[in-house]
Order: sequence, then structure tokens, then C-alpha cells
Amino acid sequence: MVRASAAAERAGVPSVSLVCEGFIGQAATTAAGLGMANLPSAVVPGHVDVQTLEELDRNVAAVTVDGVVRSLTEKPPSPPHGAKEPAPLDVVFAGTFDEVNRFFYENEWSDGLPIVPPTGERVAEFLRFTDRAPEEEIGVLLPDRRSATVWTVAVNGVMAGCRPEYMPVLVALVEAMADPGYGVEHSGNTPGAETLIVLNGPLIGELGFNFRQGAMRDGVHANTTIGRFWRLYLRNVAGFLHHKTDKGTFGNTWRVVLAENEAVIRKIGWTTIAEDQGVTGDSAVTISRYTGGGVIASVFGTTADQMIPYLGDAIARDVGWELMFTVGMATGTQKPLLILSPVLAETLAKSGLSKAELKRRLFESARIPAWKFERYLGEWTNLVPGRPTLLELVRAGRAPAVFAESEDPGRLVPVVCVPEDITIAVSGDPLRTNAYSFAHNGMLGFPTTKRVSLPRAWKTLLAEVRAR
Amino acid sequence: MTAALWVVVPAGVRASGEWIDDTLAERAREKGLLARTPLAGQFPRQRVEVVRHADPDAAVADLFSRRGWTDGLPIVPPTLARVDAALAWSARPREELLGEIAPLGGVATLEKVAANSVMAGCRPEYFPVVVAAIEAIVDPAFNLRGVQTTDENVAPLLIVNGPVAPALGINAEWGALGPGWRANATIGRAIRLVLNNIGGGWPGAVSFAGLGQPGRYTLCVAERAHDSPWPALHIELGYRPEQSTVTVLRAESAINVTGGLDELASVIGSAASLFAMLHEGKVAALLAPFVARKLAREGWDKADVKRYLHARGRLATETWRRSWIHSVVRATEWPAWVTQAARSQEIPALRDPEDITVVVAGADLEVPQHAYFPSWGHPPCRVTREILMPDDWAERLSERD
Repeated sequence: MVRASAAAERAGVPSVSLVCEGFIGQAATTAAGLGMANLPSAVVPGHVDVQTLEELDRNVAAVTVDGVVRSLTEKPPSPPHGAKEPAPLDVVFAGTFDEVNRFFYENEWSDGLPIVPPTGERVAEFLRFTDRAPEEEIGVLLPDRRSATVWTVAVNGVMAGCRPEYMPVLVALVEAMADPGYGVEHSGNTPGAETLIVLNGPLIGELGFNFRQGAMRDGVHANTTIGRFWRLYLRNVAGFLHHKTDKGTFGNTWRVVLAENEAVIRKIGWTTIAEDQGVTGDSAVTISRYTGGGVIASVFGTTADQMIPYLGDAIARDVGWELMFTVGMATGTQKPLLILSPVLAETLAKSGLSKAELKRRLFESARIPAWKFERYLGEWTNLVPGRPTLLELVRAGRAPAVFAESEDPGRLVPVVCVPEDITIAVSGDPLRTNAYSFAHNGMLGFPTTKRVSLPRAWKTLLAEVRAR
Repeated sequence: MTAALWVVVPAGVRASGEWIDDTLAERAREKGLLARTPLAGQFPRQRVEVVRHADPDAAVADLFSRRGWTDGLPIVPPTLARVDAALAWSARPREELLGEIAPLGGVATLEKVAANSVMAGCRPEYFPVVVAAIEAIVDPAFNLRGVQTTDENVAPLLIVNGPVAPALGINAEWGALGPGWRANATIGRAIRLVLNNIGGGWPGAVSFAGLGQPGRYTLCVAERAHDSPWPALHIELGYRPEQSTVTVLRAESAINVTGGLDELASVIGSAASLFAMLHEGKVAALLAPFVARKLAREGWDKADVKRYLHARGRLATETWRRSWIHSVVRATEWPAWVTQAARSQEIPALRDPEDITVVVAGADLEVPQHAYFPSWGHPPCRVTREILMPDDWAERLSERD
């Protein structure tokens, strides 16, 4: 809302954003981050979703109207001053390990777990593992509009407990975070989806990532600390903080890095996620925000025909309100993820399925009745205004034809627009017949892949730290 | 040997993340006021700061003074432990917003308010009173922007009612307007520090009160309810006896009046009330317990007193016409009841008897000793908020040292 108002103001159109009470702080911070700290807003008491029309009328008349009038008629206060933050080399604190941790935590620079104090020495060690200059700006991150420099990547990497040699992965992750296609500015939205990082390429082996049993469980150094780095960087550089810019109603904790079992993928002739995204040869990170998901236990069968109905059912079941990213609000941005254990992938491949063919079969299978799809969009939620039917959306060119194959409300429709929208990974306990499905947060955390650039002296540096 | 104090930074942060001290430092520089606050704006932009010193309490007090975070008196360092102790007297989360403090719009979170309460010297159990008072002054009716920036010498007057007042030792008797009672001294001071530190009401830089007034240090009084012959203010306002409230008015300096209701009315009907006439203000009168009892014995209730003061509190029309305020205000700005009454010889100083807040306070002296608080500013205001104590507050008070 505030971002739309900022765009209107830039085009010379005066705006007032109507902001529900619980979102005032977020609106102000967002406006400041957009470089328009004086962007006017008017408060709507409570939250509109749970008010009757009469209550809403009363609240708007008593409070909001005055705010609208004032916003459009009063001169806003003088422009704000830039936030004064410590310079990269400033010593912000000196003290014992416990004191440093208390200090960082009390100032909201930590996630609550102990951090490794980012001393100059430790940061310098990380910086050896990139050929980029410490002051180089990777991007500018909303909502705080802070410069994402290589230096800050190293600092947060140290804090998260990473090893110096993870630095190339961390830099690639921040490149992905800063990519406009990903949409980091949405990271504080209320459904509170969490990013999953998928790593592909030779670094899986070189840095010792877990991709076997417990692939998504904390406990393996690289997977765990890099996952933690992601959220620390969102906190300390992008600026997502509890009770302020992060409005996740519940949220959930950061996810450890998922590495694929590339040996199995090669063996069955499939491609990795990075390859599907266009990166071959080198290592790459792919980030994408998932709202939630769950395990698909004990997939039974020896053929694809036996297995696909269960897998398709899980994908369809996990996508609910997120269907607004399939059709309606951000058509074509719903990209659910299905993680197959190696034994499942191998069994499907043995039935003759390529990865593309598997996606096509899942596209056919993961379907729900049209009436239910429409209820998610415009009856159980108010996410798509005007309660359009799928037929209307297809007629208006806002949905693919597959959603209007008949007029029967009981007809089955897919939960993604095209088969390619289903992402498939292979990882986890090689010999257990379980899978995992994630529903996706659509355009608000769109899959983004970045190649990991290694320093020229990578082999030497790696050998050096390994010899210690 | 140095010791460390972990203190909560009490300065105002706007919702958009700017610290108001950047604006304050600039204003202070423009106005040549940096001698008062040589370290204005010079502090880490953090929630918590660590001060290490051989005498850290004194170091924090000195540092905060030079940063412009005091009223001139020494402060108590708002350590995390002290702030947490204050917050423990509220059921609400520390990050909850009470509102924005005009004019610079620092966000009054419970934690920031608690830090300022600690600095003012409040005991932890006073915190719910401070919170209720802040809720009252951020009510749009209070016109905090006006109070903070006007050239008039107005200050929030806090009147506390209900069982909390005697339990916390908020004085309503000997020297109720001060000095000597910690609760009165520090609760009012906490409001001033919030206005100064979160709202940015720095004198001469943002706040342009020409003279100021002693009530800008603290102005907090309880009603002497236990032997008052009349229902207390909060009962008049519709609260139940077991509820406690704080009522806030925009008050000009207190005027002492020794004498009966006629003397009090003569002060009401004087130039002191010209702003109350112009703005249809709500004023306050503290009435001597001795006089209240005498009047009650004669059959008067509070409403009779108000009617009497309203009827007798009149200015000679000529006095009004010759006043400085009359010379600078457009004729159309005066309320209709003033211009109508000006056709006769006398004008009531106040619009309505109910615009006089009558509160019984002071020592049990055989002396008719009252105080009159004129008011300034739009809109007419007398804002009351309930003081929400923890359910077990009485036990907790009895257990404290």
C-alpha cells in the first residue's frame, strides 16, 4: 500500500495511505526506506478484516477522515536526517564474550542465540575468501534502504558462526536477496513465509553440506550456519525486526540450507534445481520463500502410476490461500517445491519419467475442484477483489485456459499454471520412501538463482584453512 | 576500577526510524543553545548503551544532562534492570505503543516511557500512573503539539483519584503541590522527561514558553478523598470508587488564593482567565478541606460551588476590552457567549460551571487556602484515563521493602 502511494507521489499525485492500526510503524519505516519519510498516512483503528461495515464506518468517520484531511492539507514536517550508524571499522563495543552477546542482543542485532563477536580479525579472514572489495555494494535492501556491502556480509557471516570459506556462498546469497525479482521488501508480510536456500554444485562436497539423512535438520555446520546467516542479514542489513518491520503474524524460524543429492540426480539422468534455473557447471544458490509444508510419509509403490496420486494430492493439499499466486493476484508465480528422497526419485525414474515428464504428471494429478479454488480467492479470504470466478478470469485473459475447460464448478483445476511451475529437488535419507512438499509465497519471494563466484586463489585458501 | 551500567537510551525515535535528537541538535545550534546541551545528538543510535566509569551513576547523569535528556536536575540512570522493574508493573508488552509524542513525534513505547520514569526517580509501582497520564496527553483533545510549542506557559496538571493514590503515597494533604513527596515529585517529572526526551520539547529550541513555570518540573496531585464531604472527581466523571484514574488538564501556573469562595471567584474573574475565556477552557480549583466541610455542612455540594464560582467569576467588560489579548485577537475569535455578555457590564470568565474542575486538596488547616489553575489552548480539555494496576498490586506493595 505504502509502496503504491510512493509511486503515486513520484508521479505527482498526492496520496494518503490508509493504514490499519497495527501497521503504523511498518508504514512509516517502509516510507522512510523508500526515501519518502513524509509520505502521509491515515490510521484506521483495529483491522478492517474483522469489522462490520457499521464499525468500519464509525472508525473511519471518527479517526480516519481527519487523518486524510490533515495529510492532504497540512505541510509535512521537514525531511528527516539520515540515520547515523557506525562506520564499518568503528569499534562499537569492547568487552567479554558474554558482554558482547548481551550488547548485541539488547540492541536487536542478534537472533537470541549466542553470536560470534565480529572482530576485525575474524572479518578480515572472511574477506580473504572473496576477490571483491569490502566496500563494494552488492545492492540496497529495503525496508531500511541499507547498503549491502561485502563487508557487512562478512560481519554477519562471522556472527552466524560460519567459517571463512563459506564467504563465496554468503555473497551469492546476498546477491540473490538484493535481486529485484526476489522481492526482499516483502519479507515482513503477515503470512510470515520463510526462505529456503537450495545449494547446488561442487561446493556441496567441498564445504561438507549434508544432503542425506536429516537434510533439513540443524546439526551440520555449513547447512546450519549459512541458514542462520540469511536471517541475521535480513535483520541487520535489510532491517526486518520483530514488532517493527516484520509483521509475520506467527513467522517461523530460519531454515537450514538444502543441498541436493547430485550423485543420484546424475545417475537417473535428471537435472538439478540450479540447472533448471539455467546455471550449469559452477555452484549456485537458489532462494525462494515457502509458506509451509509437510512431509509425505511412506510413499508406497513400485511404479510412477502408483506413486503420483499421493504426491499430487500432497501438493494440492498444501496450497490454500497461496492459490492467489496461481491465478488472481499474481498469476503464474506459485512455484511449489517437492523434495523427493533419492529412493523415490530413482523409482520414478525407473518408471521412465524424466524430470519434465514427472512435472507434467504431477500437474495433471495435483488438482482441486474449481468451486474450492474460487472460495480460497474470494470467499474464505478477500485476497482477490470482486470475487471473480475462474471462468471470468480466463475470459479476461488473467488465467490460462486450463482453468476454464468446462463450466462445471466441480471440474478439477490445477494448482499451478504450467507443469514447469512445480520445482523438484532430490535430497534426504537415500533409502526412505518419504517426500516433502512446500507451498510457495509467489511473487513475494520468487525463486532466484545466483552463481557462486570463487576467489582466484580458492584451492590454495581452502587447503590453507583445512590444514589448520 | 570501572563499573559498567547498561542503560536504555531514553531518546525519541520516530516510527520511521529517525532519532528526534538529530532535529533537536540542529534547532539547538540554530538558536545558540548548545551551551546547555553540548552533546546534543551525540550518542549511539541504539536501544541500549553501556557506560563504563569509576562512578557510572554520576557519569550517566552527567552524560544525559549534556545530551539534553534532563530537566536540569540529576537523573537516575535507566538501567535495564530498573526499566524491567518498572515494566513489571504493567501487563502490556514493552514494545507496545502508547502514541507519538508531539511535536517531533518520537514513539512512546512502554519501554521508552519506563526509561524516562526511572530517570525521573519513580518507584516501579508508579509506572501504571505514568502510563495512564501519557495515554491522556496523547489524546488529540489534549493538543499536545500546542502545549509543547506555544509561547504560553502551560503544563499538564495531573490529578490522581481512587485507591491507588493513597496506596502509592501520592500526596493530597500537607504541601500537596510540593515539595516533599516522592510520588508527586517523580510522576509529574516523568511526564516532563517524556515530553522532553520522546517529544523533543526542548525549551527555546522547540518549546517556546516565554517564562515556563515551576509546574513544568512536576505537577501531580491527588484528591483528598478520605474526608472530603463530596464525591471525588473520578466518581463525578462516572468511574466506580474502586477504580483509579488520572485526569489531565492544560494548566497555567497555579495561583494561590487565601480566602473564601468570593476571593477565589475574584481571581477566576480576572485577567488570569483571559485565555480560558478565549479558548472556552476547562480550569481547575483546589479547594481547602476546611472550606469544603464548612460548605457541605451548610448544604452545598460540588455543583453548587461550581455554579457559585461561575456566577461570581466575572470580569468587568471594560477590563476585558482593554486587555492585551483583546487587542491582538480578532473580534470573531471570541466565543459567542463572550461577545453577547460584553453587551452588559460583566462577562463570565468561563463558559459553563462544569468547566471548573473542583478538587479538595491540602492540609487540614483552619485556613481557607485554595489554588486556581487557569487554562490555555484549544480544544476544551479534561482527559481522564484509568490507571491499570496489576491484579495483585496490593500484595506486591505490601511485600516491597
